[in-house]
Amino acid sequence: MVPKRDLLKGSSSYLLLSLLERQPMYGYQIVKELTARSQGYFKFKEGTLYPALHRLERSGLISGQWQMLPNGRQRRYYHLTEKGEAKLALERTQWQDFLTAVKLILQPGPSGS
Amino acid sequence: MTPQLSQYLDNIRHKAKLEGADESVIISELEAHIEDKLQELTDSGLSPEEAMQTCLGEMGSTRLIARQIYEAYSQGTWKQVLLASMPHVLFGLLFVLNWWHYPGWLFIVLMAIFATTVYGWWRGKPTWVFSWLGYSLVPVLSVGLLLLYLPRGWSLLALPVYFPLALWWLFRIIRHTSRRDWIFTSLMLLPLPIIIGWFLAISSNGKLTEYSLQRIDYFAPWIGISFMALALTIATFIRLRQRWLRIGLLATSGCLTLTLVVHYTTGRLNTLTFLGLILVMWGVLLVPPLLERYLRGGRLFLWKHKDTPATT
Repeated sequence: MVPKRDLLKGSSSYLLLSLLERQPMYGYQIVKELTARSQGYFKFKEGTLYPALHRLERSGLISGQWQMLPNGRQRRYYHLTEKGEAKLALERTQWQDFLTAVKLILQPGPSGS
Repeated sequence: MTPQLSQYLDNIRHKAKLEGADESVIISELEAHIEDKLQELTDSGLSPEEAMQTCLGEMGSTRLIARQIYEAYSQGTWKQVLLASMPHVLFGLLFVLNWWHYPGWLFIVLMAIFATTVYGWWRGKPTWVFSWLGYSLVPVLSVGLLLLYLPRGWSLLALPVYFPLALWWLFRIIRHTSRRDWIFTSLMLLPLPIIIGWFLAISSNGKLTEYSLQRIDYFAPWIGISFMALALTIATFIRLRQRWLRIGLLATSGCLTLTLVVHYTTGRLNTLTFLGLILVMWGVLLVPPLLERYLRGGRLFLWKHKDTPATT
């Protein structure tokens, strides 16, 4: 069986871009959101989120900005760039094609065919 | 910040080896994340010690995080590839196109190297500056060589002054570079064994004579090719992400280029000299990490003292 961590590794860019599509988020929020939306399926070492975010930022797909909170603490919010939106649209199409193909293989075919 | 958290972040900082601004951003983000997580865990009823242990466990090992941070930042752009390999190409062209005959070209190349090094140094020491920095040591070596041509008494007076000054200057640069990342020190010093090899091939008694100049003419295409090989090495180095691959590349390329030097000098360098040059090459690769460890040890020692609560 493929470990969940490896599944996440192969699709981490797509997942992160998808999460940031709805609203700008900071690292800790991304971890909570990913765990909640996948119902705890994706488990990974939380510190490794930041290298992934910075790799996306260096590729120009997302952009981070520090924001000061009322309690004086700072958080770095990430949002999608135009390039990131285009990349997400492309990856979404590829994933949907992939999932359709997998479903076609997995679903039981008509008997006798 | 607790000493445990400080040490955790400090470990990542040292292993990730980022430039100042990038380092500050990612360390601050990790710190903010850990503080949020600690708050949540203590709110759920864990003691501060238990919360810290759980939190750092879920964050992941410092080695894993630092390696991924390094790989996220290490790959240079094609512009950086061009800039980093340029000094080797310039030195190669000096010999391939026989520019070394003309003092004007030599002056232009040396000035370009000096100006670019100073520019890069003051612009935050980007990765590409370290290959230029290595060549900026050539004028220092040249001064040492010129001192050999002074009248006998003057040479004896000048050399004891020159050697400590040159070594002090070299040590300062190496120490400064190793503080950033020892691999850049190796990158900077990589041409050194090659230059020594060619120098030994053209001059047997340490002095440049008319015959030595004829030998340079004879070896010029191969000297040029060895510098071009270094340019190719640096270009590949800049594009690689993984640190172990970068180290392997420097070691392999250095030894291969030295072998080429010995091969092309057709018997002018004997086996003992070749082994000596290989030792210098391994020194270039092994001394910087030891120096970095020594410098880091000193800094950690100071840090430990700074964070240790005062006892009465």
